[in-house]
Amino acid sequence: MTVLDGFGFTTPWLLWGLAALPILWLILRAVPPAPARRTFPAVSLLLGLKDDDRISDRTPWWLLFLRMLIVALMIIGLAGPVRNPQDDQAGNAGPLLILFDGSWSAAPYWTTVLDVLNRAIDQAGRTGRPTALVQLTVPEKPIFQTASMWRTRVGGFEPKPWFPDTTRIEAFMDDLEIEEFDTIWLSDGLTYDGHETLLTDLEERGQVHVFQMSRPIYALVPAQFDAGDIQLTVRRAFSRAEEHINILAMGRDPSGTERVFDSLVATFSRDATETETEISLPAELRNRVTRFDIQEQTSAGAVTLADDSLKRREVLLVTGREDREGPELLSPIHYLERALSPTTELITGSLIEFLPSNPDVIVLADIATLTPNEEIALIEWVQNGGLLLWFAGPRLASSDIARAEEHSLMPVRLRVGGRNIGGAMSWGAPKTLAPFSKSSPFHRLVVPDDVTVKTQVLAQPDPDLAQRVIASLSDGTPLVTRKAVENGQVILFHVTANAEWSTLPLSGLFVEMLERLAVSSSVKTPDPVEFAGTTWTPVQVMDGFGRLTDARNEVGIDGADMIAGSLGPDLMPGVYQSDGRRIARNVFGMADHLLPIDWPAHVVVEQASLYSERPLGGMVLGMAIVLLLADVLATLALTGRIGTLRAINSIIALAVFMVIATVVPSDADDVDARAALATSDVVLAHVITGNPRVDEIAEAGLRGLSATLYQRTTVEPAGPIGVDLEGDELAFFSLLYWPISEDQPTPSVEAYSRLNTYLRLGGMIVFDTRDADTAALGIVGRNERKLQDIARSIDIPQLEPLPSDHVLTRSFYLLQDFPGRYASRKVWVEAAPSDAERIEGMPFRTLNDGVSPVVIGGNDWAAAWAINADGHPMLPVGRGLSGERQRELAYRFGVNLVMHVLTGNYKSDQVHVPALLERLGQ
Amino acid sequence: MTSSVLRQKAEAEASHLLPLLVQADYLAGAILLGEHGRRRSGLGDDFWQYRPVQIGDSKRYIDHRRSASGDVDFVREREWKIAQSVIFWVDQGASMRWGSKKNRPRKIDHSRLLALATAILSVRGGERVGLTNVTLPPRCERQQIFRMAEAFSQDAEVDYEPPDYSAMKSHSRAVFISDFLSDMDVIREALGEAVNKGIKGVLLQVLDPDEELFPYQGRTIFDSVGGTLTHQTLKASDLRSQYLDRLANRKLELRVLASEVGWQYGRHQTDRDPQSALLWLYGALDGTAT
Repeated sequence: MTVLDGFGFTTPWLLWGLAALPILWLILRAVPPAPARRTFPAVSLLLGLKDDDRISDRTPWWLLFLRMLIVALMIIGLAGPVRNPQDDQAGNAGPLLILFDGSWSAAPYWTTVLDVLNRAIDQAGRTGRPTALVQLTVPEKPIFQTASMWRTRVGGFEPKPWFPDTTRIEAFMDDLEIEEFDTIWLSDGLTYDGHETLLTDLEERGQVHVFQMSRPIYALVPAQFDAGDIQLTVRRAFSRAEEHINILAMGRDPSGTERVFDSLVATFSRDATETETEISLPAELRNRVTRFDIQEQTSAGAVTLADDSLKRREVLLVTGREDREGPELLSPIHYLERALSPTTELITGSLIEFLPSNPDVIVLADIATLTPNEEIALIEWVQNGGLLLWFAGPRLASSDIARAEEHSLMPVRLRVGGRNIGGAMSWGAPKTLAPFSKSSPFHRLVVPDDVTVKTQVLAQPDPDLAQRVIASLSDGTPLVTRKAVENGQVILFHVTANAEWSTLPLSGLFVEMLERLAVSSSVKTPDPVEFAGTTWTPVQVMDGFGRLTDARNEVGIDGADMIAGSLGPDLMPGVYQSDGRRIARNVFGMADHLLPIDWPAHVVVEQASLYSERPLGGMVLGMAIVLLLADVLATLALTGRIGTLRAINSIIALAVFMVIATVVPSDADDVDARAALATSDVVLAHVITGNPRVDEIAEAGLRGLSATLYQRTTVEPAGPIGVDLEGDELAFFSLLYWPISEDQPTPSVEAYSRLNTYLRLGGMIVFDTRDADTAALGIVGRNERKLQDIARSIDIPQLEPLPSDHVLTRSFYLLQDFPGRYASRKVWVEAAPSDAERIEGMPFRTLNDGVSPVVIGGNDWAAAWAINADGHPMLPVGRGLSGERQRELAYRFGVNLVMHVLTGNYKSDQVHVPALLERLGQ
Repeated sequence: MTSSVLRQKAEAEASHLLPLLVQADYLAGAILLGEHGRRRSGLGDDFWQYRPVQIGDSKRYIDHRRSASGDVDFVREREWKIAQSVIFWVDQGASMRWGSKKNRPRKIDHSRLLALATAILSVRGGERVGLTNVTLPPRCERQQIFRMAEAFSQDAEVDYEPPDYSAMKSHSRAVFISDFLSDMDVIREALGEAVNKGIKGVLLQVLDPDEELFPYQGRTIFDSVGGTLTHQTLKASDLRSQYLDRLANRKLELRVLASEVGWQYGRHQTDRDPQSALLWLYGALDGTAT
């Protein structure tokens, strides 16, 4: 019965009025709306027509329904509906304990939590009960005091990024001194250990009211690496619908600003509580990712922090010997590649080339000589935090580097030559490794027995040597030395990176050592045992809302605790750092699940309501009035007093006014429809000038011409289209008729560029100044001046008066006159090229290819072509019979024009027909 | 009725008349007249053709100027031209005094306008114009236009006025303008009478757009303009298709009737430009339009 949850009525007895509705139905049904009276001359044709039998003389059911609805709404409205009615837990006057979980899962709805708390406090205040307020995640000894004291403190509570746990609950229960009190318990909805014992304990002391938040909760499991992709798992509770969750990958850009690198969508299918999604980021970005967030979920569980396990360090391998002719296994960097490639981004190449890409680690395998340039660049890079890793080798051993004095990029001075042990020509057995000292980063790594060293380079005994050794052989000679250079460090392996000098690269220890040196990143989940004894300092800690704060001044934590300890005030979730490695302690782990709390059957769980009491009567009555207006419109429409269209319009206008929801009409569909219309058939087009009469005639004229074409030729055009130069695409039309009117606006720059493209691509514009009757007198008419004005920016070629051998004179009909409504001979087309010659015996010159892009005249052709809807001519042409002849010639000119546009110079080519026929005849 | 009242009324009528005349004159002015010759030789002023002299031709018909250029004698023939009578009947019934919208012209406005404009054109073309009834026999003078305008301004009381063909002059041209919504038999009778007298002519049906579309719905009582006919329906939208069928039938009937007797049938809708109807009307009288 959730539908009725949170609703109530102030005067419920009024609802009995609903029982009267069926009677009203019967009464209204019998009284139909009154008929409209209309005057209509053609009633003589109506006489004797019968109405359909099925139409009964009654009110239509939907109108009845509408009216029923109105009455029902009025009754309900008057009965005083109330949302979230508050019934005071009256009667009790003893002390009241208000408990709330206050874990991160309530963080997105924290204002609601505070709201509910405030209401509970207010209520307690009204009944004057001493009240205590306790947040179970950080329980304090309950202090029972007047409610108003708590009222001021409520705002100070914040969700904590952990759940209540047994120890804290037990400590709290021990603190309880008063034996008798009632409890209001606001649960976040998720289960945790110890809530049952607490409930039993509280029930012994008095009544327990449980309110529960049941809002959707989402949590993000720490990101995992899987074959180059980052896998993210989202879990949820209190939501079963199919939904899409947005996850943001956040990180810092090179300037240090926090940015969203990427966003991905996780889709929950219906009823699923868990879903997975993958994201693939470029290494450069991935290394910068600091956390993943579920968008718009401001809780600590919806944030998972990224640490080294997500980072792939960029390692630049530099080797002296680039020729790879020898066996693969002898390559100085083969084992390094094998060890590093699973966990790092490897780059192989020269120093100078790749140093600008700022790799995290540079490995120099048996390199002895650095150019001064390289050296300077390397020193700078190391000082800025780079990790330089040397491997010894024959060249290093035989070189002079770091002999006499310490090289700035070498941890130690080296003795000449190195030493051989256990070889055929030397004394002694190959040396094994000594266990790692406590100060060494390799501390607690197990040294396998089979790792032996045959050859090494030796360090000069310097005062600093002892501090710099981090691994040594069983005889105490250094194997790995390290020196800090400002922010960075240089490390030297005194053996080769291949198996020539030692078996170290063959062992698993090699990989672990590289990992410890933070050359490679760990792929294992951190093991508490391994971390025991190390100290980790928090870098950033997270609060219950998932906000990160700087925490450099917090105390360090033992590694084992950090990994395995449960979160609490002493162990905040966040990012911890030790020795160049970073590990994130997240609120929500891989093994955690969001389980709704399971209350015993006798406990009545109320939904923590979100809003305070709200009377709905006004709203319901308002709805009734809106419907009443709709009823008025419907009745008017039904009796035909207003057209349905207008009724719908009014209703829509009303709806828009009421809802204030505007629907933006989609322009794209319209454009597409036009395009489809213009391209499915040949379509003649005219330019819309803005002068309604001119546009009407142009439209009617093209309609007449289209009809003529349809009757007489194989061109079967669809109806003409008016073109707005400012907005419409012109490319679909082969012919554009442009009547010039004086009041026409000059086209915009974009329109001009469209027009020029149109002409360049083979379109034709027919300019018609429509003033041949006056222009013939030698006066430059106003339309003509307007045309000059318009055409100035159009790409119009050189023109000439239409020559008698122009293809327009014979493209369908043989014509020498081109009259429209006026019969002027002044028609201008593109000038023929000056070299056009008339071949002997041919009637026409061999003229230019292509279609004249413009035809300019003033004969008002459209007026002569114009027909009305019945197909009769719209305007008179000329006098009597000769006028009809002129109209006919105008049509013929139009046909020729369209033929010329569609067939181009085809008719011009016909001049060769006699020659072709002659040749065929032979 | 006192004379002053009569005069007042007459002046009111005349004030209606003047705009109509001006409008009709304006409309007619848009058409340039071609003299509609008979396209055969006969009595007239215009040259028709030269033909060689045949036996029986009087010598005085020989055109000496043409004949002098050769050995054959030619006769100059002239085109046969006669003045015709054009008689008009415009339905003055109440059904014509209706426009579906406030600013839309009534059917009778366009009908009178078209009839008068045609009359003006005819008078200018040298024809005689008149009415089909006895009140105004055909005459060829400018004054006749005023008389016709006056006759047109008299509304009839009946809903559907039957054509008054009491005084149709034989072998004249007739123009019948009406909505033709009344009984078809009356019209058929009138046309029969006209055919008997050798009259050719034109039927112009003037309708309102709403009569063509029947855009009504809901429970409605339809009254004729004069109030003599009434029809009630519960759902007007259901009647639409039946009504449109009947209207289409009526039009077809008129077209068939017209073609049977060699008349022309045309339609005009009051929301359209009357000029194009006038063009058609004039062409139809002239025999050029279809």
